[in-house]
Amino acid sequence: MTTTPAPRADEAAVLTELTEALHHVLPEIGFEDTPVTMDTRFVEDLDLESIDLVTLTGELGRRYGGHVDFPGFFASLELPEIIGLTVGQVVRYIAGRLR
Amino acid sequence: MSRFLFVVPPLVGHINPAVAVAAELGGRGHQVAWAGLPGIVGELAGRAEIHACDVPRDLQRPPGLRGMAALRYLWQDFLAPLAGAMAPGVERAVAAFRPDVIVADQQALAGALVAERLGIPHATSATTSAEFSAALAGMPKVEEWIGRQLDGLRAAFGNPLQTHDFRFSPDLVLAFTTRALTGDCAVPPQTRFVGPALAHRAVPAPFPWEWRDGGRHTVLVSLGTANTGLGGHFLAECAAAVRDRARRVQAVIADPGGVLGGVSDPDILTMPRVPQLALLSGMSAVVCHAGHNTVAESLLHGVPLVVAPIRDDQPVVAAQVVTAGAGIRVRFGRGDRRTIGAALDAVLGDPRYRAAAERVRESFRAAGGAASAATHLEAFATGQQRGRP
Repeated sequence: MTTTPAPRADEAAVLTELTEALHHVLPEIGFEDTPVTMDTRFVEDLDLESIDLVTLTGELGRRYGGHVDFPGFFASLELPEIIGLTVGQVVRYIAGRLR
Repeated sequence: MSRFLFVVPPLVGHINPAVAVAAELGGRGHQVAWAGLPGIVGELAGRAEIHACDVPRDLQRPPGLRGMAALRYLWQDFLAPLAGAMAPGVERAVAAFRPDVIVADQQALAGALVAERLGIPHATSATTSAEFSAALAGMPKVEEWIGRQLDGLRAAFGNPLQTHDFRFSPDLVLAFTTRALTGDCAVPPQTRFVGPALAHRAVPAPFPWEWRDGGRHTVLVSLGTANTGLGGHFLAECAAAVRDRARRVQAVIADPGGVLGGVSDPDILTMPRVPQLALLSGMSAVVCHAGHNTVAESLLHGVPLVVAPIRDDQPVVAAQVVTAGAGIRVRFGRGDRRTIGAALDAVLGDPRYRAAAERVRESFRAAGGAASAATHLEAFATGQQRGRP
């Protein structure tokens, strides 16, 4: 068992962490030409499928450990919310839970 | 002898496996009829008793829809209206043909609904395994939303006293795949994995066989029958990736929309329609959208894959291919010549991909395909007739 250190709570740090998690989960995705910002949409801009979001959830869970309830967050999303889900929504959720 | 009514949506990939099973049943002396859109069913099923069903007029989905937006459209604007439009035709077919068993495609929901309302035994034909996957497991509100769509359809066209998920017949679900491809998945116990069922297609498209260069790998690129007009960028990048490797690789590209302008040279051959089954045994790899049928047909020939899923069940099927070790996934929207080329190099160069594809092929062959599906349906029909008062 490894213990997860409490990550920094500010949104910029969370955005960096989330971007790393994206690269880790989807190494084949070319981010060089597409910077990941708060407004980036997972599906339309990053070409992620729901199955990728599930994988990303797992990776974020590893990075943030018990600090953030990702399954609970994704489970709370209604269909239209998932359709338009942005990086910023996830970042703000994480940052809010870490404060 | 028994009477089987096949209820199918106007989708080639869903009709073709049913055609194979229907032919097998017919060959064993059973009576077979169809309920569906006459044009496409007649084209694929050949001479057959077809009972016409209406379908919604505009079946063209906005091509840009992906992910959950595509899922919402699929249910709200395709599957539900299709069920409503088809239901009266299915009823008329039942009255005219008086089937012992309805074989309802999983996306022709009218089949299951009319069957349960009229109390006719029915089997589900699951031509893709996506409904078995846990792709939505982390998103219960999406599952609930689909459940509401199903409840609405049942109230309008089915038997509201029933409570089971009518995407799955309570008695028999035929899955045209095997666990070697799906991996572990939660399936209802009445599911039978029969593997792909391939129809002998009436008139295969012609092909200039002399074009093949025995000294090079030949790769087939196909985005299936339902993505015309969507794949321009991807097909162009595939062609560029092949040209970068033209010393080792040549490609046949199915281009129904003509987006590549009819290119035909020793490295790239584009054709509006390709004789896919005839070509597959000679292919070194297939690049496709991870449609279930193209994947199944490729693996049935032991051919490894580069998969670029677009939407619907394709991400699930693509993940199955990757997990089985039989291919590599690239991005459809963002795939470029570099990533597609690298994936091609890997599946062509590393024998483990072909070995994995051949493992799936063996499981498909062992599963029995159309013959096995027909045997399950025969037994089901016989059991139902015996159980009758």
